[in-house]
Amino acid sequence: MFIDNQIEISRRAFMRRTGQLAVAGAASSYALGLAGIGEAAAFNATGGYKALVCVFLYGGNDYGNTLIPYDSLNYGRYSAIRGGGSEDDDISIARESLASTVLNQPNDQVLTDDIRYALAPTMPRLKARFDQGVMAPLLNVGPLITPLTKAQFESANTVAYPRPPKLFSHNDQQSTWQSFQPEGSPTGWGGRMGDLAQSANTNAMFTAINATGNAVFLTGENAAPFQVGTKGAVTINGLERPRIFGSSAARDALETVLANSGGHVFERDYANMVARTVEYGGFVNDALDSANVTTSFGAGNRLASQLEVVARLISVRQNLGVNRQVFLVSMGGFDHHDGLIGSHEALLGELDFAMDAFYRATVELGVADRVTTFTASDFGRTLASNGDGTDHGWGGHHFIMGDAVNGGQFYGTAPHVSLEADDQVGRGRLLPSTSVDEYSSTLAMWLGVSPSELPSVAPNIGNFANPDLGFMQL
Amino acid sequence: MTEFSSDVIDSPVAGELEDFSTSQDGAVTQKTSSVAAVAALSTAVAACGGGGSSGGPSTGPGTGTTPPPPTVLRPSTDAEAARFILRASLSASPGAIEEIQSEGYEPWLDRQMDIANDVSAEQFFSSRGYDEVNTDTHYFNTTLGDNMIWNQLLSGNSGVRKRAALALSEFFVVSLNGVRINWRSQAMGFYWDSLNDRAFGNFRDVLEDITLNPAMGVYLNTRGNKKADPNTGRVPDENFGREIMQLFTIGLVELNIDGTERTDSSGVPIETYDNDDITGIAKVFTGYDFDNSTTPEFPEPSGAPFNVPGVEFSRLPMTADATKWRNPKNQDFHSSEEKSFLGTTIPAGTNAEDSLQLALDALFNHPNVGPFFGKQMIQRLVTSNPSPAYVQRVAEVFNDNGSGQRGDLRAVFKAVLLDEEALSDTGLTDGQFGKLREPMLRVVQWGRTFGAASESGDWAIRDVSDPTNRLGQAPLRSPSVFNFFRPGYVPVGSEAADSDLLAPEFQIVNESSVAAYVNFLPRTIEGTSFWFGDVKASYTEELAIAHDASALLDRLDLLLTANQLSSTSRDTILTALNAETVEESSDTETKLRRIHIGVFLVMVSNDYLVQK
Repeated sequence: MFIDNQIEISRRAFMRRTGQLAVAGAASSYALGLAGIGEAAAFNATGGYKALVCVFLYGGNDYGNTLIPYDSLNYGRYSAIRGGGSEDDDISIARESLASTVLNQPNDQVLTDDIRYALAPTMPRLKARFDQGVMAPLLNVGPLITPLTKAQFESANTVAYPRPPKLFSHNDQQSTWQSFQPEGSPTGWGGRMGDLAQSANTNAMFTAINATGNAVFLTGENAAPFQVGTKGAVTINGLERPRIFGSSAARDALETVLANSGGHVFERDYANMVARTVEYGGFVNDALDSANVTTSFGAGNRLASQLEVVARLISVRQNLGVNRQVFLVSMGGFDHHDGLIGSHEALLGELDFAMDAFYRATVELGVADRVTTFTASDFGRTLASNGDGTDHGWGGHHFIMGDAVNGGQFYGTAPHVSLEADDQVGRGRLLPSTSVDEYSSTLAMWLGVSPSELPSVAPNIGNFANPDLGFMQL
Repeated sequence: MTEFSSDVIDSPVAGELEDFSTSQDGAVTQKTSSVAAVAALSTAVAACGGGGSSGGPSTGPGTGTTPPPPTVLRPSTDAEAARFILRASLSASPGAIEEIQSEGYEPWLDRQMDIANDVSAEQFFSSRGYDEVNTDTHYFNTTLGDNMIWNQLLSGNSGVRKRAALALSEFFVVSLNGVRINWRSQAMGFYWDSLNDRAFGNFRDVLEDITLNPAMGVYLNTRGNKKADPNTGRVPDENFGREIMQLFTIGLVELNIDGTERTDSSGVPIETYDNDDITGIAKVFTGYDFDNSTTPEFPEPSGAPFNVPGVEFSRLPMTADATKWRNPKNQDFHSSEEKSFLGTTIPAGTNAEDSLQLALDALFNHPNVGPFFGKQMIQRLVTSNPSPAYVQRVAEVFNDNGSGQRGDLRAVFKAVLLDEEALSDTGLTDGQFGKLREPMLRVVQWGRTFGAASESGDWAIRDVSDPTNRLGQAPLRSPSVFNFFRPGYVPVGSEAADSDLLAPEFQIVNESSVAAYVNFLPRTIEGTSFWFGDVKASYTEELAIAHDASALLDRLDLLLTANQLSSTSRDTILTALNAETVEESSDTETKLRRIHIGVFLVMVSNDYLVQK
C-alpha cells in the first residue's frame, strides 16, 4: 500500500483537534516537514514577496473583438470579414465606438501592416492601465512545440514539424495552455513554478492557491493547490461545533469516520482531501480574519469575487508564511459560437473591472510591483463569422498587468487581418507567432526561476530563440 | 470547474423574447425500435459469469456426469444483491434485494428495463400547470427544470431506466445553465423524456433525437445555424459538428475495440479528424430552427407589448422546413454544398433531412463508438478503470447485440452491469475497482431509500451546484457540454495518479467541495435545509427499528453501501448511535435523531463514498 509522506503528515495532523489548531494560529507547526522541499539553487527568492495570478478565460476568447483593428485600412478588412453592415451576419464592433479605447503604442513601435488596435469599448480601465504603462498586450500567443510556418503546419511531416495534439478542442487546449499537454496531464506550469518556489515559503502548502475549479495549472511534482471559495476556505461546520444533531458522540464519530479510509485508493485520496481541508482551512481563515482590503470589488462579478479573496490572501501573506505564490482564478462563458455581440463585450467588461479592481487592491497593499496578473484561454477563435459568433481557433491575444510590467506597448507579432495570410490556418484561426512556453518562461523568470530551470516549467522553451519576451522588468 | 458552455450568462431579462419556431405532431421517428433484442446476451453473460465470481451461479446440486441445466446467475447474499442494485438503479430496498435473489440478476434486470417511466417530465409540468402561459411566467423559469429533474430522480417506479437515462445525460450533455429560450425547463423536460424513452432503445435513435432536440439546438447552436453566405463572409457554425464527433460518438483519437488508443508507427495516437472534417460536417447541421407550426401565440399575460408562444415547440424536434418556423421563410438555409468528412462525402444538392441521416449513419457506424461510449457507461455505472477486456466485451455487444443489431442500448447496459468483472467479488478487495459516487447520486439514493416526498408537490428544490456552500453538483446542470467531469480525468497529485488510475468524479473534489458536502447533509437529512427543504424523508421503516441500534445500522449499511462499511466505520457509528438513549417507547423525535445521526455518518464515510 502506498502512502506518500505528505499524506502521512496530513493524516497524522488531522488526528489533532481543530480547536487546538486554531489556538496555535500562525505560530503553529504548519510548516511541518514541508518547508524546503524545493531546490533553493534553482530559484531566486530574494527581494521580498512576489506572486503570479493567472486569469483563465474558459471557452476560448474571441481575439478579433478583444483587440480590434482601428486604423482605417485594417478596420476595413476586419469589418468586411466580420459581416460589417450586413443585416443578419454583422459581428463587427462599430469603429466609432472604439475611439476612447485606442491603444497608442510608442511612435517607434510599428506593427504588421501599420495596424493600430483599440480595446473593446467595454475595457476602458485596461486602456487607462496601458496608458499608465502597467499593462501590456501580448499578440498572437498560443501553444507551439517549435516555431511553425503555415507550410510546415500543412505538411504531412509531423515528425519534423510537430504541432500540439488535439488542437481546437476545449478541454485539451485548456490543458495544453496550463501544462503543455492535452487532457490527462499530470502537472501544470504554475505548479512546476510552485515546486521551485516552495523553498521560499515557510508554509509550502500555501504556495499555490486556486480560487476556482479544479485545473491542472497549479499542480506540480510536489506543489498541490489549496482551493478556496470567494469567502476563504470552506471548513467542515460539524467539526467546529461541540455537537451534531445535538450529540457530542456524533461529532466525535464524524471526525473518526472522515479520517478513516480503508484499502481503496480513492478512499485514501478522498480522505486526504478532507484532511487538507481540516488541516489547512481553519488556518487560512484565521489568517484571513486579519485581512484588510478596502478596495471595492463590486457586486455580482464572479471574477472580481475570486480576485478579492486573492487580494485578501496576499494581504495576510506573512501570517500564511509565504514569500512566493501562484494563484488561479477564472471566468467562463467565452465560447461564443453565438451571441458574440453583446455577451462577449459584457464579459470583457467584467474582466476589465475585475483586473482593474485587483490592480488597485495591489496598489493599496503596496505590492503592485510584486504581483503580476496575466490572462490565458483555451484558444483564440476564427476571425470569420458564423452569422452570430465565431468558432474554435488557436492563437489569441493576452494581457499582462502590474507595476513590474513594461507596459504601454505591444509584444509579439500582430497577425494580418486576413483569412488567407500565412499567419492563420483557415477562417482566421491564428497560427501562433509566440508560444506559451515563451510567455510562461518570461513570467517564471520574473518570479525567480533561474534560466537553467526553465525547461522544467516550459518544456519546449529550448526550441525558441529567447525565453524572455521583454514584457517583464527582469 | 471548467466552464465553457457558450451560455454561462444567466437570467435573461423577462420580456426578451427569442425568435423561435416549431412543428406539428412531434412524432419522433423511431428508426430501429429495438425492444426485441433482449435475449441474445443472456447466454454470453451466464457463460462468462462463472469466472472469478464467488457470488457466482447458484448451481443446484450437480450430478457427477450429466451437465447441469442452464443456470440463472443470482446473488447469494443480500450484500451481493444490494451491490448490483445500487449500480443498476438509483437505490436499493429490502424488497428488491429479495426479488433479485429469487429471480436472478438478468431476469430481474430485464423486468426492470421493461418498466416505463410512470410520470414523465411532460406530465409533471402539466400536473403542476407549469406549461401554461400566465402571469407566473413559467416560460422564463429555469428552476422549474430543477424541480422536474429532482422529482424524476427522487420518485417514481423506474429506477433502472432513470439510472441509465441519467448516465446518458452525462454523455449527451445539455445543461439547464445554457438554454436561454422561452420554455427552457420544459425543453429540458423533453430532453429528459427522450433519454428515458430511448434508454433501452437504439443509440442511433438517441443520436438523432439529441441532434434535433430544441434544448440541444440552443445549447450547441444548431438552431438558427445557416449555410455559408459569400456576400457577408458567413460560414456555418462548427459547434455541434465538432462536439457530436468529440463527445457524442467517436472522440478525438482512434480506438481499438478494447478502448485503448491506436497509435502510428512512432507511437503517437492517431487523431480521428482534423479541421477539414469539422468544416465539412458543420454544413450538415445548417438550416434548422424550432418547429412552431403547432405553437399558439398568447398576448403577454401582464400586458407587456409582445406575444408569448405556447410550450409546444419545446417538445418537438427542430425542423429544416422554414415554413414551420416562428417567422416562416420561403427559402431554406441548409447548405447545398458537398459535405465531406471522415471519408464520407454527401453530394452537393442533398437536402437537410437526407444529409442528416447520412451524417448520423456515418458517425454511428464508426468503429470508435462502441468502445468510446461503452467505456464511459461502465465508468458511470460500475468502475472508473475497467479492464480493456471488459470494455471490449461491452463494445462487442454495442457492435452486435447477438442478433446483428448495432447500438442496442438495452444490450449494452446489460453487458455493462452483468459483466463478470462487475460481478466478481475481487473488486471488493483489490483496492482500485469501483468509483466515487457522484454527489447528486448520493442525494438521490438518500431520498429514494428513506421515502422522501415533496410537501408542496412542487418538488421545490433549487440549484444545488455551488461547490462551496451546496452540493457541488445538480442533475442536468453541467457547467459545460464536457459534463461535470471528464472520463479521462486524473486527480493530479493523488495516489490515483501515481497508480495510473482514472478518477473522473474527482474533478469535482477539492478542499472546498468535500467540506461543503459534509455541511450540506445534516439539514437535508433533517428536512430543514433552505435548498432542499420542500423534500422530506419519512424514515418509516427506520423508525420501526430505531430502538435497536445494531439493527438500524445493519439496515443503513446494506441499503446505502451494500455492506461495504469497514469495521472501523461500523464500530464508530454504532458507538455514536448507542450514545443516544432510544427505547421502543421513545417519541418520534428521539428516534429520528438517532436515524439522522446514522444516515449522516454513513453518508460521509469514505467506505460509502467509494462504490465498489
